[in-house]
Amino acid sequence: MTSAEVVLEARGLVKDYRRARAVDGVDLVVHAGERVALLGPNGAGKTTTLFMLLGVVAPDEGDVTICGYRLAKSRSRAAEQVGFAAGYLPLTERMRVNEYLTLFGQMYGVRDPGPRIEAGLKRFRIEHLAEAMGTELSSGQRTLIGIVRATLHEPRLLILDEPTASLDPDVASRVRAGLLELSNEHGTALLMTSHDMSDVERLCDRVVFLSHGKVIADGTAAEVLAKHGSNDLESMFLDLAERHEPHETTTGQQSDHP
Amino acid sequence: MKGNSWLRMRAIAKRHAYVMVRSPHRLFDVSLWPLVDVLLFGSLAQFIGGEDSTASEQAAGYLLAGIVLWHVVYQSQIALSTGFLEESWTRNLLNLMVTPMREVEYVAGVALFGFVKLFIGVGLMVVAAFAFFSFETWDLGFGLVPIAAVLLVVAWAIALLVIGLVLRYGSGAEAMAWGVMFLLLPLSGVFYPIDSLPPIVQPIAKLLPTTHAFAALRDLVDGKGVNWGQIALAAIGAVVMLGLAFAWVVHMLRVFRRRGYITRYT
Repeated sequence: MTSAEVVLEARGLVKDYRRARAVDGVDLVVHAGERVALLGPNGAGKTTTLFMLLGVVAPDEGDVTICGYRLAKSRSRAAEQVGFAAGYLPLTERMRVNEYLTLFGQMYGVRDPGPRIEAGLKRFRIEHLAEAMGTELSSGQRTLIGIVRATLHEPRLLILDEPTASLDPDVASRVRAGLLELSNEHGTALLMTSHDMSDVERLCDRVVFLSHGKVIADGTAAEVLAKHGSNDLESMFLDLAERHEPHETTTGQQSDHP
Repeated sequence: MKGNSWLRMRAIAKRHAYVMVRSPHRLFDVSLWPLVDVLLFGSLAQFIGGEDSTASEQAAGYLLAGIVLWHVVYQSQIALSTGFLEESWTRNLLNLMVTPMREVEYVAGVALFGFVKLFIGVGLMVVAAFAFFSFETWDLGFGLVPIAAVLLVVAWAIALLVIGLVLRYGSGAEAMAWGVMFLLLPLSGVFYPIDSLPPIVQPIAKLLPTTHAFAALRDLVDGKGVNWGQIALAAIGAVVMLGLAFAWVVHMLRVFRRRGYITRYT
């Protein structure tokens, strides 16, 4: 895996909020085609790390490079290589799914997004939603549409923040199948956070554990479990969560989004 | 990359067009309010002028030309600042900020859509002023073009100021989108020379580019031709204002990223 092209390289990421250090020297390298889970209890710094990788939060220290483009200098070029979806992201109101996806496809430089929209909707078995208004969709359907949107430009790296959170088992299974298909067919690297360890086991070939803003384990699930002396990811996660005291936040943010 | 920039700007303009067409109350800005303003100020001119047709024409010139040109500022400013506020209201900022779209492309896209609103709103006013009060705005001639251009630049500068405030203080700063306009209207001498203002506020009024633009407009109404001196003063002020507003919004965007304010919208 290490011989594959590096799509994401983050070095020494640090982020301080007023009275707390949210991220403390995170190093992260993701290769083409890799499927990486970023795990940790609430307040561990996962979402802040993702936001720094996406360029929407500026790190106090450290640097991010995506497919050879330094984020600090070439944000737009770097962003062309990345897709992002999260369960909490809303769909733009007063638009049909097709219109919404077309506009976002164009924002990513896809001149004729029609065929890709069709393929994306088909991949997640939601072709019937093409003409629906955003307000008519369930939260699960919105999550699926969000993932389709994030993949329209065929990104080299797909970043997902809790993609299966609050989804019913059927929709969650469709999300996993669609993501696997995407990764296998296009070599898209996945970097995702999740609190569902069964998702992680089924989808990811590498896990990175964060605690108090630091990487405390990085490797295949077997390697990480061996290092920690746990039997499975679920018990390792619970053990870490018990030891983890959430950071105090002063910016009015939820502990999950420090 | 240039082609992609245009594609992104067009996408943003279209996104706001969908919002306007599918939210009937948004159409008030370009239909009801312009009509109400023409009726209000046209009728006021008729009343002030009374039986004297020359006085009536002069009053109509000052008031109707003033309100039509004021809508250039109002429509363009509101289109750009509420365009950005729409992203904040619908929590769409994160969706946009992770795309390759540059900030300047976003502003250009919303401004592009603002042009459409401007043409609809001001076009309607020109037609209504003629239909209700026989006021021919086009009779003021070519001099209207540089005046309108200066007012457009001022409008964009104010909108950038508002966007910067929203980035820094959140949606709570949205009252500024309308509040600034209420402050600017009397101080700019839209309907009267600023000599009519209380002496204490006149120095502030003189600093505003809009004041010089509307002074040039009154010269046009009085048949004195194009007052290039006033237009130049207005243009210099407008460009300085736009430069400062641009620097302000760039700084606020840095603060936004540094302090992680995006979490307000997730």
